[in-house]
Amino acid sequence: MDELLRVIQMALEDTTLSAYMRRARWAWVICESLHFFGMSLLIGTVGLFDLRLLGFARQVPILVLHRLIPIGIAGFALNLATGFCFLAGTPDQYLFNAAFHVKVALVAIAGLNVLFFYGRVFARLHALPAEAPPPLSAQVAGAVSLTAWVGVMSAGRLLTFFRPPF
Amino acid sequence: MDPLFRAIEETAFSVWLRDSPSLLALPFVLILHTVGLAFLVGTSVALASRTLGVAAAIPLGSLARYRQVLWAGFWLNAASGVALLVAYPTKALTNPLFFWKLALIVAALAALAPVLRSLARGNERDGSPWCKLGAVVSLLCWAASITAGRFLAYTYTRLTVDF
Repeated sequence: MDELLRVIQMALEDTTLSAYMRRARWAWVICESLHFFGMSLLIGTVGLFDLRLLGFARQVPILVLHRLIPIGIAGFALNLATGFCFLAGTPDQYLFNAAFHVKVALVAIAGLNVLFFYGRVFARLHALPAEAPPPLSAQVAGAVSLTAWVGVMSAGRLLTFFRPPF
Repeated sequence: MDPLFRAIEETAFSVWLRDSPSLLALPFVLILHTVGLAFLVGTSVALASRTLGVAAAIPLGSLARYRQVLWAGFWLNAASGVALLVAYPTKALTNPLFFWKLALIVAALAALAPVLRSLARGNERDGSPWCKLGAVVSLLCWAASITAGRFLAYTYTRLTVDF
């Protein structure tokens, strides 16, 4: 596994993007700011929808609230892009970092939960009477999503405390 | 100001936040500050987007409950922000950018105030031009305050009084 990570590390370090991220004076902090803004787009739409799935703010029509989700997807795309910039810039700081492994695993769990939500839950929401308590499956999807994303943010914030010697 | 900064830096809470190897010290405060940011700015983004006509089918007044999420994020960040300030008073208060960050947060909330007020009144109509202008200004101020916050980590000239 370490062998594979080393190969990935060297491949990333060879890229133009990697050199740019290490050389350009403000590239890193601009990407960080965008990463935090993308996070806000995600939590402000997906996070609020998760709360609704858990039964919060039942006055909001659930399917209509779902129309905000594209903003969250845009935020996630922005964060994949800026996240890749960090990874390319100093790959060893992430590839050999326990907090990064946890973060990636939590993003994967959130992704599987998206599949569960659209596969098993979303269709049932159409039949839900206004202001009725969401079904258990919706509450589970909301709880898993909210927990996973709060975990992703926490693991992200812990990256600097678990990085290998710089 | 140095004597004041030194007095703060010598308190047990400040020393613990800075020097403890525990993840419950500075790392936990940073996590709270990040999660609070996501819910504060995120909810602002949702309310501002709706005010500007995104997902216009959402009855504006139905979103009133989400103000609780916005203010929960705000107070979480006020508290965690004070803790970070206690940990590193010299670092923040000797950097002019820190005061820009605070001003931008005040501006973002002030600009969103008309939207929040119309939610409080249970106003079902679409946002007024005043609300829409506030929504745009609020989004710009949040983006700027986040950027100022990130730059704080790279632009400070003094970390503590003695370092």
